[in-house]
Amino acid sequence: MKSLDVTKSALSNTLRSKLRTALTVIAIVIGAFTLTLTSGLGAGINQTVDRIFGGFGEDDAIYVVPQVEADAQEQDGPAEYDPDAGAEVDSGFGTGMLSAEDVETIEGLDHVVGVDTEVAAQIEYVEAPEGGQYQAQFDFALNDVLAEFAAGGAPDRSAMEITIPEDWLEIYGTDNPDEVLGETLIVAAPNAVGQTSDVEVEVVGVTQGTLAGVGFTPIPSVALAEEVADINAEGFEGQMPEAYIMASAEIENLEQNEEAVKEALADEGLWGLTVEDQIAMFEAVIDAITWILSGFALIALLAASFGIVNTLLMSVQERTREIGLMKALGMSRAKVFSLFSMEAVMIGIMGSVVGIGLGLATGFVTDGFLTAEDGPLGGFAELSLFGLDPLAIGGIFLLIILIAFLAGTLPAARAAKKDPIEALRYE
Amino acid sequence: MSTPVLETENLVKVYGRGPAQFHALKGLTFEIHRGESVAIVGKSGSGKSTLMHLLALLDEPTSGVVALDGRPVSKLKPKTVSALRNETFGFVFQQFFLNPNQTVLENVTLPLKIAGVSKSERDKRGMDALEQLKMADKAKNKATDLSGGQKQRVCIARALINNPEVLFADEPTGNLDSATSETVEDILLNLQRDHGITLVVVTHDEDLASKCQRRLIMQDGEIVDEQVGVKDSASHKAPVTAGHSGPATRRRRRILPFGKGAAR
Repeated sequence: MKSLDVTKSALSNTLRSKLRTALTVIAIVIGAFTLTLTSGLGAGINQTVDRIFGGFGEDDAIYVVPQVEADAQEQDGPAEYDPDAGAEVDSGFGTGMLSAEDVETIEGLDHVVGVDTEVAAQIEYVEAPEGGQYQAQFDFALNDVLAEFAAGGAPDRSAMEITIPEDWLEIYGTDNPDEVLGETLIVAAPNAVGQTSDVEVEVVGVTQGTLAGVGFTPIPSVALAEEVADINAEGFEGQMPEAYIMASAEIENLEQNEEAVKEALADEGLWGLTVEDQIAMFEAVIDAITWILSGFALIALLAASFGIVNTLLMSVQERTREIGLMKALGMSRAKVFSLFSMEAVMIGIMGSVVGIGLGLATGFVTDGFLTAEDGPLGGFAELSLFGLDPLAIGGIFLLIILIAFLAGTLPAARAAKKDPIEALRYE
Repeated sequence: MSTPVLETENLVKVYGRGPAQFHALKGLTFEIHRGESVAIVGKSGSGKSTLMHLLALLDEPTSGVVALDGRPVSKLKPKTVSALRNETFGFVFQQFFLNPNQTVLENVTLPLKIAGVSKSERDKRGMDALEQLKMADKAKNKATDLSGGQKQRVCIARALINNPEVLFADEPTGNLDSATSETVEDILLNLQRDHGITLVVVTHDEDLASKCQRRLIMQDGEIVDEQVGVKDSASHKAPVTAGHSGPATRRRRRILPFGKGAAR
């Protein structure tokens, strides 16, 4: 029997008892649908992340934070006291902050051409020139590279500049982000004894919120953040230790020197991350969630595979005569086996085509609805919740066919084993 | 004399084990020659169906040899045996075994489909076979829409489609009324006479048995009698099932020198 004939016969056999086949196919459809949605969700969010961070490929900075925090979670029992390490521990220890010495260390590393630091800057409120005071918190100044701009651009790190989020436009009574560029904003910073000082800054950009959480609050320039931090420290009794939330080290030829700098940082008890590393961490979380959700879909498929076994066992039972006849007329065991496993594959193909199609349609329609300009998730710049990953879709298709084939082997083996004489015996 | 198309030597088939053992066949040795028509006759339980299954290579003997065209088949692989059945044999069953979901033409061409013949070639040969049995106008009908006689003609067309050397018919008239039986018998014997197909019939039907050139009469797993020569069924009803005590019979011999039917 030719393969084409096997396939055709298998297809027409599955269509023989339509209701039974349809019910079995529905179980597969549910599994395929769920898998398509979960993998599409993961693909969509990862594509969004890629798109948002894609523009910063030429960014040549390594972001440095103290390593203690990361280590604390991975430690197995209390760490041994090391007197040498203790000598290096300074005021930043335990607070997750970098000390001035750390920053000097970073500056002293090979390949580092410049270091910007992130200071903790507290503000009381901001005030528009026309009046009106608003509660506010600064975003990190070093996050400027991660922001999406509706208008303008990132603040000059050494100038007194700031960006505002898109929904702040109403302070200036406009909808057009371009109109607020060049406007001034007054930042009121508190000092240690509770008095506030005003700093006048220029608005140079309007940001859209991104999935990384950047751009929902004003982003100050590095100089502005430092100025505000200085005001915060005014009136402090005694010596206030210099502490930084993080530092951004500009590296010459990042691609080549990335590993060397990271190792040097690790030796100093510091942790260096490039933008790409941060994306990778973010994507790893998304992937993990996707896999967990897909796990549930796989359970649905597993249940469906028993439906295939059941359906085909019934079919083999009903068609005992027919199998006996085909074997008597010279069909080999292998061909009988392939005929019945092909029926299982047909059920798998029908289920996966319908399920994947429904999944894609549902995914894109829902995504379009949720992330539309006025949709529930419309506030996120460039967000898409559902993406087409042809590789994943192909993988799902093949996986389902494989599962269907495996489910078909038991009934197919049973059909192949039938004795033609027994099968044709008249009752 | 040509090689017998089928021959057996000391063929034994035992079912079960130990005290429950049942000797279905107790050492049969005979030959069937090319172009001959042979009826295997006997009461139910005499072993005639078992014998046909062994001859048709559907089952394996407990001991003894079945040879096809002088070649013993017991040593062949299952796949080769399947292919041999497909190419060499045609089967006609009492219960027809037509697939009710398929058309007459699809049913008829099943052996060719199994053999891997292309669709156009299958349909052409299928129509030829149906033409031969005057069933061409029913080609597109579902197999369930036919009368018993028509079904058996479709069954014969299916058995003929691969140009078999041997046609096995297991009670081909068992489910038919006497008028229809007559037609089917004539078709089968014409095929044997005009096309040189070896015909092996297992039957209760005296009429059919008497039209065959040779009758092997079985009882309790042995061939107890053998009758040679076509009888005129209209005037003379041969007592085929009880013929072992009849006068004009020969005891079976180890080798039966029957070659006239094979001359074709």
